Amino acid sequence: MKPILRETRRIIIELIKEDPVLLLSPAILNSVREKEEKRNIRKVRALSEFSALYRSNIYEIMNEFIEEFKAKLTPQLLADYIIDHLKESIEALNILLKITNPDQNNFQNTYLQRLVKYIEDRLFPKGASIQIIYQNLLNQSKDFFECQRHLLQPHTFYREKLENPDYFVIPGNSPKIYQIINNITSFYNLDPNYGVFPERPAYEIPMILKNEVFEPYIDSIAKTEQEAVEKVVDKIGLRIIDDLFLAPQEAFIDILMSNNFLRPAVQPSGKIRYIPQFSNETLILYYLAFASMRRGFLSKELINWIAMNFALLIYMGILKWKLSDDNIFYKIFKDLQTNEKILPYLMKLICFPNYLGMDKMKIRDSVQYRKEIFNFIGSQIDNLKTLIEEIAIFLDTAP
Amino acid sequence: MSIIPALKCSWNELLDNFIKGLDNAIVELNAHSIDTIAGALPLLLDRLRIMQNNFPANNGQIFKQTIDDIIQNAFFPENLTFAQSFEKILNSRTHEQDFIINELVNGFITSKAKAIASYSQGPIIDRMVEAFSKRNDFHIVDHQFYAMFGDPNVPRTYVMINLQILIDLFGLVSEELVIQKDIRKSEEKVYTFYTFPNDILNVLKKKYLITNPVTGNLSVSEAFDRNVFICLFLANIAVNRSNLSSIGGKYTVNGISAIFALILVLSFMPKMTATPQLLKHPSFSSPNVSISVIPKSWMMKKVLESIFEPLIKIIAFRLGGIQWCEAIIDTEINKKIHTQIRFLLKDVNKWILGELCRVEIPIFIEILNTIQVTLQAQQSGRTTTTP
Repeated sequence: MKPILRETRRIIIELIKEDPVLLLSPAILNSVREKEEKRNIRKVRALSEFSALYRSNIYEIMNEFIEEFKAKLTPQLLADYIIDHLKESIEALNILLKITNPDQNNFQNTYLQRLVKYIEDRLFPKGASIQIIYQNLLNQSKDFFECQRHLLQPHTFYREKLENPDYFVIPGNSPKIYQIINNITSFYNLDPNYGVFPERPAYEIPMILKNEVFEPYIDSIAKTEQEAVEKVVDKIGLRIIDDLFLAPQEAFIDILMSNNFLRPAVQPSGKIRYIPQFSNETLILYYLAFASMRRGFLSKELINWIAMNFALLIYMGILKWKLSDDNIFYKIFKDLQTNEKILPYLMKLICFPNYLGMDKMKIRDSVQYRKEIFNFIGSQIDNLKTLIEEIAIFLDTAP
Repeated sequence: MSIIPALKCSWNELLDNFIKGLDNAIVELNAHSIDTIAGALPLLLDRLRIMQNNFPANNGQIFKQTIDDIIQNAFFPENLTFAQSFEKILNSRTHEQDFIINELVNGFITSKAKAIASYSQGPIIDRMVEAFSKRNDFHIVDHQFYAMFGDPNVPRTYVMINLQILIDLFGLVSEELVIQKDIRKSEEKVYTFYTFPNDILNVLKKKYLITNPVTGNLSVSEAFDRNVFICLFLANIAVNRSNLSSIGGKYTVNGISAIFALILVLSFMPKMTATPQLLKHPSFSSPNVSISVIPKSWMMKKVLESIFEPLIKIIAFRLGGIQWCEAIIDTEINKKIHTQIRFLLKDVNKWILGELCRVEIPIFIEILNTIQVTLQAQQSGRTTTTP
């Protein structure tokens, strides 16, 4: 794409040197394009198809722009706009080209490393313990909770298995699991039972009936989840007691206490009761913290989804930084065909040990699969757009 | 066993039933409450008593005003054509009300076959948005659909059935294009295009097509999103409300009535003074969203059932008359539907540090204002007629 953009910029500059009015004639631009296409097809056959595609897109966009504004702007101004927008696009591609060093020399100062760390700190932090990770996530949840939640919910969740033969595999969240987690949160806040804290008998912890969680589901539509309840609740820091109750795990109780999600109250019996005061994010963030800590065991779907989101955020962040909002070539960058050329490589790079440190062998290469996961680009959530803007600001202000 | 005995659907009996239901709720609340914020229980009891005494007054005037004039007007228009209903729902969209519209659909977890937000179908809507927005005439060809959703592991018939479900749900229409001689095989070939009915197309073109004044090129704007389809889904149900089998049967009726009942109750909940702990919480003090703390004891199982069982029937009666009211399930499933209410509207009704918080959205404010004006009129009517 970059050579074509540079070549187009040169052509436009030469054209307006000759006579700016020439720019107004679509026939002239089309003849230039035809000439360029002819020459290049002979040159590099493998790349010629893409080149022709991008070139025709660029010329089409320029023609439309000229047609639309030729009554309002002078040919010189039109040319200036086109040249500026081409320049911005080339700059964005330059950044993408040198996003990292092939030999990983001085990788700490590469855009990729800095951007991965920036996003990682907000959505998927690393840490020495689950407490630290949870705390970091909670600090960011005010602004980015919806992104954090989004990161756990792959659009290919219907391929996830709740009961994986490999015990350690951490699957992504399905909308039904998310509903169940919401339901558990409500039950804890409404009227939970209390039972003895198995590891500390002087304390009482909140417990809810396991079956009550699945009560709202008609026609056994949550049967799979009910059967795999132990696996499901393990990821959100809960455990099953007496085969009847769901109660927080010992380690999770400490996290809940330190974040005010449990409040101690002395009972007449002298025991200290932990009264739950959960927020919507309490359990979801534990899931995310758990996945972040054990990122080596994530399911294939979840790894692809996380890498895909990181790649998209980085790509869109760089575009937002370099391209002005009214850049006429923006839609080429946002086109699915362009995304398919750039994002899969970024996804793999992001998985390397110095970056997210996930299993890059699990990044899928099939075209069908790419199509499937890239479909989510059409349904971005608002919060993701906010984060993209933040990334652009970070890039703009970073030294 | 249901707390309130099953009744025939007559308006007066429904109102009586509502009064009895609130009686039960008040008794339950007096016996046990879970609100910890000082003054929450008296405030809640006060609101429930107002509901009990004033909502059924004047032949259920408040119900008629809030359900017919506000809720239906915004989400479920009556006596209009498909296109007019669609336009009306589309126009009542705000960012916050989109949460409700989304929940209206996501809430149908009871109806597994017909739910458009069930497992794989959530993203399907997104993909349909993408497919339809690619062409400025809002058409998709069936091959495009199969190419997008075709999965080598799933038989093609499955994809075809899925497409038909979506076509029916949104009230889309199909057009056939017959090619006499296909270039490749020289055989007759039939292409099926799916598009919106003509009137809907006009609305969409007016709202979502951007025309280039010089080139005349048309493109679909970014505002064309999944909620457009969800509005279409609601409009389709609103228009075909008398034909239960075509709108998904009993579960749809129960789902829609339950969510509208929740909107009504949430709107009338008292606002409480937030604790210092809550005031300091970043989610609560977010500058972009107005949030208020409301009591949570009404969400206790027994209280919830007492309030919602008769209220859901009232809503159903107002939306679809006796036919809808009789479609409200009176069995154990009913209780399941009530318990679903606890996790519905999660984005406008959320938990912050164990307290129930409500995001202030236009429809809540509109309903509350209407109720308050009617209450004042009822009060002044009483004082003027009392000797």
